[in-house]
Amino acid sequence: MIGVGHYLVVAAALFSLGVLGLLTRRNAVSVLMSIELILNAANVNLVAFSRYSAGGLGGQVFAAFVIVVAAAEVAVALAIVLTLYRLRRTPNLDDADILKG
Amino acid sequence: MHDLTRSLAWFRPETALALGLLAVVLVDSTLVAWRGFATRAIAAASLAVALGFVLELQAAGAQGTLFSGMLAVDALASAFKLVLVAAGLLTVLAFSFRNSRELHGLGQGELYALVLALVLSCLLLAAANDLVMLYLALEMVSLTSYVMVAYLKGDRMSNEASLKYILFGAASTGSMLYGLSIFYGLAGTTSLPGLQEYFAGGVPDANRFAVYTATLLALAGFGFKVAAVPFHFWCPDVYQGAATPVTALLSVLPKAAGLAIALRFFYGALSIPRQGPWDLSGGIDWPALLMLVSVLTMTLGNVAALTQTNMKRLLAYSSIAHAGFLLMGIVALSENGARGLLVYLAAYLVMNLGAFLVVTLVHLHDGSFDLRDYPGLYRRAPLLTLAMAFCLLSLVGLPPFVGFLAKLYVFAAVIEQGMGIYATIGAVNAAIAAYYYFKVLKVMTIDAGNEEKPPLRLALVDQAWLVFFLLANVVPLFYWEPIEAWARGALVHYAGR
Repeated sequence: MIGVGHYLVVAAALFSLGVLGLLTRRNAVSVLMSIELILNAANVNLVAFSRYSAGGLGGQVFAAFVIVVAAAEVAVALAIVLTLYRLRRTPNLDDADILKG
Repeated sequence: MHDLTRSLAWFRPETALALGLLAVVLVDSTLVAWRGFATRAIAAASLAVALGFVLELQAAGAQGTLFSGMLAVDALASAFKLVLVAAGLLTVLAFSFRNSRELHGLGQGELYALVLALVLSCLLLAAANDLVMLYLALEMVSLTSYVMVAYLKGDRMSNEASLKYILFGAASTGSMLYGLSIFYGLAGTTSLPGLQEYFAGGVPDANRFAVYTATLLALAGFGFKVAAVPFHFWCPDVYQGAATPVTALLSVLPKAAGLAIALRFFYGALSIPRQGPWDLSGGIDWPALLMLVSVLTMTLGNVAALTQTNMKRLLAYSSIAHAGFLLMGIVALSENGARGLLVYLAAYLVMNLGAFLVVTLVHLHDGSFDLRDYPGLYRRAPLLTLAMAFCLLSLVGLPPFVGFLAKLYVFAAVIEQGMGIYATIGAVNAAIAAYYYFKVLKVMTIDAGNEEKPPLRLALVDQAWLVFFLLANVVPLFYWEPIEAWARGALVHYAGR
């Protein structure tokens, strides 16, 4: 029988993979994909809690909002990555290094 | 239906800003020659109208929730809204596309639309009473700030700054969201009063770990907004890469809104109000956690600022250090702490915007943000140097400047709770900070150099604003009664529950 625990484990795994990707990836697009994993981990949590423990549709509505916000965020982020590419011909984050100190 | 009509009546400041935003976008798309001037006027007008509505809210003493509990209307939210709208209005009026060399020749409409969107989202964040609203408002603040930082499109520094900002921000708010989802799972509700009810009922030991993890993750989001260590890495780069007026705005608005929601979250959900010090609920000692963050923030900010020569970076580290002092108000977990936070924010607003205005004006005339180009300013621009001196002394926290009273409030609140060591660390930090603020002052007044350069010809408007910031750093001290009353009145909501 699949219960809320199984969903939480999947979500925790997604979250960990996302954080791992954030820390290890150097390509800006891969980093954005890792961030999507983190957001979707939260979504799985929200929907699972809404279905199994909390009752009501609050969690599912929250998840729907998160999906929309994530899309907006990626739109802005990709525009910025595109500008990075135009200015330096690379999507590699290690090359963005003029600001430091 | 009744809820909706009543909500709209208390939603006037936000409505004014939203309408102003639409008007700016419309006017900007007409392509008439004077649209730059018009968009700025519309932005200033809608901020002024919003300010009037906030004052009306405050005078009416409105209490309650809007839109089925999504937003809170109480004295605390109104007080934060006053600071936020005032910050937006001062920035729009004191800074312009004329006096910022970086913004010369760029389209104005988009930036003013973004400014209005930023103020609007900060108002929503400061009043959020539900985890959904909290997350949406936080993301709206973030998205508008990312775009504002990237405004200098062909500039590599601006691009790099916004890239670092968005990656860092998305990671922080993502982690925060994961934490919020755990809170939802525990309490079965997304409303902050619902969370308070749940935690007040006592948390079973089995859930302790989950609460602790969720709090830590939520702290990532708040910490990112207020630029607290260890979520501060974006701050110096973003402040340096963004156009200076944008930096000035970002140094006040998201920080103030982040502190407002942190206060609302920690006081409103994770503690139980009482007379005097409050009780913790949820079984975790979050003030100790925040105290650690606050100590690290002020120490790292101040130590890193010591060696900076770029004025924007220096002010960035200084703003990180001030975030540490501001957090003292939340750590105190008392009404005096919350009051100290409000007073500190109001003072921080004038001293920080004033310092950024001086930096902008020097860059307009000399084209440099480098402290090594600052010698001789005393002779070339006496008024500007005097205004900078007042802002810096206020940032140090010396009497008779407003920064002194701000520090007095938060330190008193912390000492009152018996956290003497914490206050001592704060005092040592204030002394370290004095070193680099005085260093800037020394370079401007005593150091020799730039003898051949002509005096700065400041525009009349800029001179007027310098005088304004100069006075704003001193005069309030002699009319303290209303400010004290304002800050005291802001806590009505918490005392009443």
